[in-house]
Amino acid sequence: MADSQEDSGQFQCVTFTLENEIYGINVMQVQEVLREVEVAPVPGAPHYVLGIINLRGNVVSVIDARTRFGLPPKESDDMTRIIVIEVQQQIIGILVDSVAEVVDINREEVDSAPNVGNSESAKYIDGVVSRGDMLLILVDLNKLLSEAEWVEMSGF
Amino acid sequence: MSIDLEDEILQDFLVEAGEILETLNEQLVDLEQSPEDSDLLNSIFRGFHTIKGGGSFLSLTNLVDVCHKSEDVFNLLRNHEISLTSDMMDAFLRVLDEVNSMFEQIRSGEDPDAADPALIQELIQMQDPSAAAPAEAAPAEDEAETAAAEPEDEQTSEAEVAEAVDAAAAATASEEFVSGSDEITDDEFESLLDALHGSGGSPKAVDTGQKMPSSGSDEISDDEFEALLDELHGKGGKPQPADKGAQKPATAKSGASASASSDEITDDEFEALLDQMHGKGKAPTVSAGKGKAANPGSAEKTSSPAPPDAAKAASASAAKKSGAKPAAKPAAKKPAARKESAAPKGETTVRVDTARLDDIMNLVGELVLTRNRLNTLRQTFEDERVHKAISSLDVVTADLQSAVMKTRMQPVKKVFGRFPRVVRDLARSLNKEIQLDLQGEETDLDKNLVEALADPLVHLVRNSVDHGIELPDIREKAGKPRQGKVILSAQQEGDHIILSIIDDGAGMDPEVLRANVVNKGLMDEETAARLDDKGCFDLIFMPGLSTKEQISDVSGRGVGMDVVKTKITQLNGQIEINSEIGKGTELRIKVPLTLAILPTLMIQLGPRKFALPLSIVDEIFELSSKKMSIVDGREVVMNRGKAPPVFHLRKWLLKPNEQDDDENADPHVIMARVGNSSVGFVVDQVIGQEEVVIKPLDKLLQGIPGMAGSTITGDGNIAIILDIPGLLKSFS
Repeated sequence: MADSQEDSGQFQCVTFTLENEIYGINVMQVQEVLREVEVAPVPGAPHYVLGIINLRGNVVSVIDARTRFGLPPKESDDMTRIIVIEVQQQIIGILVDSVAEVVDINREEVDSAPNVGNSESAKYIDGVVSRGDMLLILVDLNKLLSEAEWVEMSGF
Repeated sequence: MSIDLEDEILQDFLVEAGEILETLNEQLVDLEQSPEDSDLLNSIFRGFHTIKGGGSFLSLTNLVDVCHKSEDVFNLLRNHEISLTSDMMDAFLRVLDEVNSMFEQIRSGEDPDAADPALIQELIQMQDPSAAAPAEAAPAEDEAETAAAEPEDEQTSEAEVAEAVDAAAAATASEEFVSGSDEITDDEFESLLDALHGSGGSPKAVDTGQKMPSSGSDEISDDEFEALLDELHGKGGKPQPADKGAQKPATAKSGASASASSDEITDDEFEALLDQMHGKGKAPTVSAGKGKAANPGSAEKTSSPAPPDAAKAASASAAKKSGAKPAAKPAAKKPAARKESAAPKGETTVRVDTARLDDIMNLVGELVLTRNRLNTLRQTFEDERVHKAISSLDVVTADLQSAVMKTRMQPVKKVFGRFPRVVRDLARSLNKEIQLDLQGEETDLDKNLVEALADPLVHLVRNSVDHGIELPDIREKAGKPRQGKVILSAQQEGDHIILSIIDDGAGMDPEVLRANVVNKGLMDEETAARLDDKGCFDLIFMPGLSTKEQISDVSGRGVGMDVVKTKITQLNGQIEINSEIGKGTELRIKVPLTLAILPTLMIQLGPRKFALPLSIVDEIFELSSKKMSIVDGREVVMNRGKAPPVFHLRKWLLKPNEQDDDENADPHVIMARVGNSSVGFVVDQVIGQEEVVIKPLDKLLQGIPGMAGSTITGDGNIAIILDIPGLLKSFS
């Protein structure tokens, strides 16, 4: 994940929940977390793209993590958040059920056991960290927008 | 040698040389019309020279070689020692092409290939050796091995001598630096001076000249020396006071850098030297360099035309520079070089990266949006003061917007400049006689537009030349002058630019087009028969249609016009054709002045707002006021005696669960012009006209048909900007 911290063997993750599971994103890739704002749908967009939001004058696309992970849709509520991340020089928002905290993780703690979750979400998993009864799933943002789509996107 | 594209000097060189090449292109074509114009010859000569100078500093040997040879030929031409032939013209144009392709290679980081040896040979042969040894040129050639004392040309009183000398100086200087030999012997230097004296020139600040070679291996002085050379040649012997003032600091600075690197001269000495150069210090001997030949008399004489104030200021600043950076040579390099390039223009212009202008434009866009929001909010305030404040913000923002827009404007000449060459080459290859008339070249338009319009225009002009203008014999039979005429003009009309391409050629026959489109199966006979003449002309924009029976390598494949039309439409522009058989054709392109801010019509569909480019909206009326009927399974609306098709935008753009009828809806029909036809769109509500800043959709959403971008509306929400032709294509 983030280069600068790889050497030290320790990094921080922002955790969020989706359907009772806890996921983590490297904090270095997270720009900010927003309460849900009005998302303007874009007709004809891929199904997992909710639409675009006005982020202080910039237009940012928002993707729905549930749809992307093959989870059933859920009405948004008070806890719903949009995590604004930067992947490969692009700013993108991810709609999640809730955002919990920032945790420190040692590289040694990360298991590469991919057999968690359903097959749809397994694709985007970088590894898992288990702490007591908590299982934290690390998301590989680069894969979240699958490779084929990245190619498609950079083609324009 | 590999080319370091990060190199700032290289980048500067590419930009500058690019401009010179463009000018050369124009000038060469002009030259064909007036081969004796010595101003033109001089400026072409200087163009090649400047490119060569920069090229040699960057060790682009192949580039230098071909420029050098061309320069030699032009030197003879401008001295009227040989005269221009059409073969030579062709060769020069080929040289230009070669140089252009070398620049392409350099831009992609390759070392340019050598020019075609045959071409070089041709250039060499142009310089008839017997004619090439006139009296003035002789000393220059004699000195060809020595390092150059380049500032000569400005002071030499006789123009011809100056030219001969500066040619030699330039040539030798660059050779010198390329070879890396930095030695100049006193003997050689003496003889150079003698030669200069002998030929009637008055050598001046020779000490500088000599000091340069003494530190010749040093990067800074090479750099500055080259820059200085370019400077001097750019101004070629026109002793205007401003030039003098500008050249002085440059000269002084090269001295400064020499001293910085060699440490052979103290600040005091340097000051004294400067004074001497500016004719202030009377002491003839101060120069600390080994300037045996320093000629105080002439130095004083030559500096006299410089206004004392300017000279003084210049010397002071140069001296300061040398004092501040006596040892730090890399540090001295950039500021010095930069200052030199700015100085000759009297520092009235600054070169700004276009990315920075784009940033500013974006920020102004934000400001416009915020103003729009305030305008929306102001209705909720009753306060008179708030009204006033917002009104003045309104005015200021509008002014700022147009001021920033102006910084991005470029004269349309930038596009037009290439046409004389295009037309000339084409006319020659098609054996036609064509005169190209450029009008309104100084019209300004947005930089992005200038770039975007270049290709379509080239295509249209080629079409006019190839399809429009007839062969000379045919023209004569038709009672027209043998020479055809193509007029390319630009003019501003409100917030639009009108570009037109007018030819006095054969014109287009609507019947032929009609028959053609039917034969090719692109349209059925009935539909074709219903078209009026204008509709027929517009057929040429259909993909797959060519009116030319034979496909030439110039045009006629029937793909181009389609692309042109698409491109113009993308720019929110329109294209219109008028043609009369036997009289000629006129193509009119209408594009907005800028691409950054788009006038739109805001509409509402259910809960969402969308924006339509205002340029395509013809008419708006209430849905209830007109009669809808179904023809051919399609909904149409009766309007002005016609029955254009009507589409319901909400069916296209809203999700199924949002499509329930809105009770508040006040449905309107917007008649839009799409290509040649009129199409109606039913919308829930028309909100009004708004100028918006286009925010491109990010990559995740790009390429979705019908979506041109997005914008932030006055109330802070997002509206999608629709691309109507794209929508029609994907939904209807």
